[in-house]
Amino acid sequence: MSGVGPVEPGEGTRAWDIPDPDTPPSPPPEPPRGRLAQTYTLHRRVVLPIAAAVALLAGGGYLYATRPEEAPPEPPPYPSQVVGMTYLGREPPPDNAPARSFSMGVRLTVQSGPQVTVLGITQPYAGLSLASVPRLPFRTRTSFPHKINITMQVTECAQVPTNAGLPFLDVTMRNTRAIQVHSFILGEHYAQDLSEAVQAICGTNSATSPKP
Amino acid sequence: MRQRSLIAITAALAAGALTLTACGSRDENGGSDSGGGGTTVVIGVDAPLTGDLSALGLGIKNSADLATKQANKEKVVDGVTFKIESLDDQAQPSSGQQNATKLVADKDVLGAIGPLNSSVAESMQKVFDDAKLVQVSPANTGPTLTQGPDWQTGKKVRPYKSYFRTSTTDAVQGPYAAQYVFNEAKKKNVFVIDDKKTYGAGLAGTFTDEFKKLGGKIAGTEHIDPETKDFSAVATKVKNSGADVVYYGGEYPQAGPLSKQIKAAGAKIPLVGGDGIYSAEFIKLAGASSTGDLATSVGAPVEELPSAKEFVANYKAAGYKEAYEAYGGYSYDATWAVIQAVKKVVEDNNGELPDDARAKVTEAMQNVSFDGVTGKVSFDEFGDATNKQLTVYSVEGADWSPVKSGTYEG
Repeated sequence: MSGVGPVEPGEGTRAWDIPDPDTPPSPPPEPPRGRLAQTYTLHRRVVLPIAAAVALLAGGGYLYATRPEEAPPEPPPYPSQVVGMTYLGREPPPDNAPARSFSMGVRLTVQSGPQVTVLGITQPYAGLSLASVPRLPFRTRTSFPHKINITMQVTECAQVPTNAGLPFLDVTMRNTRAIQVHSFILGEHYAQDLSEAVQAICGTNSATSPKP
Repeated sequence: MRQRSLIAITAALAAGALTLTACGSRDENGGSDSGGGGTTVVIGVDAPLTGDLSALGLGIKNSADLATKQANKEKVVDGVTFKIESLDDQAQPSSGQQNATKLVADKDVLGAIGPLNSSVAESMQKVFDDAKLVQVSPANTGPTLTQGPDWQTGKKVRPYKSYFRTSTTDAVQGPYAAQYVFNEAKKKNVFVIDDKKTYGAGLAGTFTDEFKKLGGKIAGTEHIDPETKDFSAVATKVKNSGADVVYYGGEYPQAGPLSKQIKAAGAKIPLVGGDGIYSAEFIKLAGASSTGDLATSVGAPVEELPSAKEFVANYKAAGYKEAYEAYGGYSYDATWAVIQAVKKVVEDNNGELPDDARAKVTEAMQNVSFDGVTGKVSFDEFGDATNKQLTVYSVEGADWSPVKSGTYEG
């Protein structure tokens, strides 16, 4: 064994490589019809990888677009839905309270959600002005009761009802969700104390202005 | 070997499944009202399903239906399937009473939702109370229903322990409207009209009392016949009175044409009403001139309540033809309150309904508490909702738009 294999046939050395003189030569393959097809045939080596890349990108894009996403977090609640206010009763007026004024205490609690800032506290009657402690604006802590001292001054008796059945305080509040003005109707006890305080200052005849 | 293991595991699982199925069957047959799917509890619904007020009534019915479907889907009460039985009271007290009697006669009924009208509720309360069948109204606002006839003098006495409601009352709604109209809308001279019914006259009364206390003047008062739609005589009186605002105690089928005719008579002043006019139907009936009209309604605006958002989505998905309207959320919560009471009774009785289920459900209702569509749902010693929010809405274009909300904290 010399280790040398048989010599491989060269081109035109195989029997089937020799054209049969009796057989008519097969016609050359027809060029593809259409311009696009012709271009494809001419540039197959380029077109195929590009098509594959496009398909890959499209598939990837689809998968990315339809990937399972976490639901967006719930937005925080509106301030009016988490803030409560309770009437505590009459309070001694602060030392620097103006004449013809009286004080009351309320408790404000943010039950849940993010921090709420109290921007304003007002009452609806034209003949009363209102100041509060702590000074506004102030930030609250969630689940923590905040005592607020309200001092009202009668500026014009004729513009204050002496026996309103359902007076309320309007509180302007802001959190990361919204800024709102919400009425807190503090109930019969508040209505009664307010009436008594106003009557004590203005008398039963509310048509006159208080004398300073 | 691997195949043999697989066969063994499959056989064991199949045997286990069969055993569990058998256990389930035994439980189902043990229920008091077996219907193949455990005990069926019926919740009656009474509301005007036909007639002028059907928009509100159908919203109540659909929302109650949604609550029962949700409870069944979530299997809120083990072994209990809820279904509703809805009856049409046509806003008539006599029909309401007949419906109450019919619901009482059905032993599967353990609670009733409704009605819409306070006058209808008055005719139903005793029938339900005699049968110890709990009733939760999503819409009645008449204070006497829970606090007795002398509530205004401070003598509050609860007439019926079986009656509860999820809406707030006119004791809050009327005065809040008066405060808004007088202090913020700056209207000082009101013409008050009502339909002479329990709700309308009561609401007009609470509004008028507070408006006068605030220093407002009453330019005139009138009652209308709710059976008619020609209010031209009243509209002329309003025009001639010099009033700068009209308060109407009643419902939208009359309020809509009344508003339109008042403006047509030349009085370009807003009409203000309560929850009875807070409906899209009011705007349709009153037309374009209703822009600026006001209504108070129970609860906070839906978009402010995260829990309401889910309710709105579920209502839409359920495919009801009619809108849930003003009381949909309250009806859902009222129904859910009954479901929670039934759950408590079943849990306290080893998973089954006791023989005196109605009385027990009524008793359990007093302590029901959950976070509902409209906020925290629970009841005070009178059966009134402890959550007393309300909102002032204004007609802007073709919609009601919220302008101010308040919470009663008394």
